[in-house]
Amino acid sequence: MTVEASRNVLASDFLEGRAKKRRSIAITAPEGVTLFFNLADPGERLTAFAIDFVIWTVATIIFYLVLIFVVFGAMKLNNQIGLTIALSIMLFLGFAIRNFYFIHFELAWQGSTPGKRAVGIRVVDRKGGALTPMAIVARNLTREVEIFIPLGVLSSLGHSNGTMENLALTAWILLFSALPLFNRLRMRGGDLIAGTVVVALPRKMLLTDLVDAGTQTVFLEKHLRAYGTFELQILEELLRRPNAPDAVQLRREVTDKIVKKIGWTAKVADADTLRFLTDFYAAQRAHLEREQLYGKFRADKNAPVTTAR
Amino acid sequence: MTALEKSDLSAGPKPLVLKSNQFRKAREDTWRELEALVARAEKRGVLSLGPEELERLPILYRATMSSLSVARGIALDRNLLNYLEALAVRAYLVVYGPRVRQLNGAVRFLTTDLPRAVRQARWHVLIAFLAMFGGIVAGFLLAHANEDWVGALVPGDLAGERGPDSTADDLRKDEIYAPWPGLVNSFALMANFLFSHNTLVGLLIFSLGIAAGIPGLLLLFYQGLGLGAFIALHYHRGLLIDFLGWLSVHGVTELTAITLFGAAGLVLAEKVLFPNRMTRLESLATQGKAAAQIAIGAMMMLFVAGILEGGFRQLIQSTEWRFAIGGVTGLFWLNYYTLAGKRG
Repeated sequence: MTVEASRNVLASDFLEGRAKKRRSIAITAPEGVTLFFNLADPGERLTAFAIDFVIWTVATIIFYLVLIFVVFGAMKLNNQIGLTIALSIMLFLGFAIRNFYFIHFELAWQGSTPGKRAVGIRVVDRKGGALTPMAIVARNLTREVEIFIPLGVLSSLGHSNGTMENLALTAWILLFSALPLFNRLRMRGGDLIAGTVVVALPRKMLLTDLVDAGTQTVFLEKHLRAYGTFELQILEELLRRPNAPDAVQLRREVTDKIVKKIGWTAKVADADTLRFLTDFYAAQRAHLEREQLYGKFRADKNAPVTTAR
Repeated sequence: MTALEKSDLSAGPKPLVLKSNQFRKAREDTWRELEALVARAEKRGVLSLGPEELERLPILYRATMSSLSVARGIALDRNLLNYLEALAVRAYLVVYGPRVRQLNGAVRFLTTDLPRAVRQARWHVLIAFLAMFGGIVAGFLLAHANEDWVGALVPGDLAGERGPDSTADDLRKDEIYAPWPGLVNSFALMANFLFSHNTLVGLLIFSLGIAAGIPGLLLLFYQGLGLGAFIALHYHRGLLIDFLGWLSVHGVTELTAITLFGAAGLVLAEKVLFPNRMTRLESLATQGKAAAQIAIGAMMMLFVAGILEGGFRQLIQSTEWRFAIGGVTGLFWLNYYTLAGKRG
């Protein structure tokens, strides 16, 4: 059922669909090239925070276990000074873990924490400048108020008496913690102050060029007028995962649609669909890229050809 | 069916010449080299690269940026475009990332940045101080008229046993001249607790600055109310001077810190309320770092105050010496914030 649904989505994408775009901010590098930083989703940020939260909790528990161990050890030895020093160090470390975990990692890892790194997101300066230590400190100073206090409040929400109190607390949580959901750049209060945003920085692999396979089919120009860049890239995506479980059937469907659309009269056998689609991709890309060099760009099959400005 | 519309499957694939394909073949090695350097810099920092690699980095980076803008113009291979976009962004962050060593940054912060930020916010400091001072006066007047106010104005866990029922002897014995609780309790436990509690209050005052400053000012006023009520409580029992001495050991530092938190919040509030020609967001971002500097300074002061309060306050049992410590700390902070880091 789910396989069926996903296939239909892709097959129709090839003809009618639209790609979903992430929100991004444009930053022009000093070299004059505009770079696009994709913003991290709220889900990604929540996941990253959850991972950090678990690490932080485990670290704190370990420190307190060590604390208890050392305290009991010291009491057996009846060593008053050792006990004092151990207690004081451990208490301070517990506090430090709680308050400086994020600041430390974002400073040392240039805007990343273990959770953020696992998810593939990072803190960057909103204007594209260097991420200064002060900005990192600034965005983490408000974390206590935005996240830890509301977390504490949430856990005590049931116990407090009076609806007014609950209402005020809910308003508080909404005002501060849900701030990222209410602005376009998905900023927390700390991000507002520090002038930062959290962006997704996925690692992309450079795969082999599909054109490298060469071509066996000759298409005429009249066959290549049907589609634009968008369809070309959807086809690329289809060809780049040839081992999907339903790939054979999917290729058959897409081949039939293309054959009908471009007026291809020869029959394409089931065994030849991959070859046909690869060749069509190469020919279509060669055609569109050539046109683009002459200043004619075509976004998708519905768009008219635009001449370069 | 024309002869041309036939796949010539018997002849084997013929190579196809595409400009984007040739372009990629000529430059791919550069990208791969940059990718490897960037991956290492991301993992272990830019400084983990060797001198030759550091020399290569900007060259590779510029070549890749140029590749990206060419690819945007001529290539329709989405995988290639996505790869170059992602690589360029990652390389950009490595190349233009901060190079300040953490220790150097910390020294600069203490000697120059912090006092300068506080001086620039002197009006905010004044307003924050007035809000708290107003609270002290109001609290004093209220509790002076009726001591029941003490219970209402001071949260129970902070007031401890102290309240309208306390006698002068109680206060003298349990509070002002209470015996020193010993090294463990004073430094390890009490100082830590006080620091955490005060920092939380301070951060709250600071963060509420985003909400246009009014909640922060109210919180400052509220902090003052409790203190004023306590002052009245001791005044009625003829302990005013002893109490102020007891308070001044840490209070000078602590109240200054709370005031600074308030001032930092007001810096934020000002930028939200009066963004000038910029948008509110831009305006906030310009001053947010200065405000955070003040807040960090205030946090360090609270750390000092926590040690003074938890550790030294009960160790020193003479009011004269307590005033001396309070005075010295006050002079120190005043000098530091007005003079440190001034040019020429």
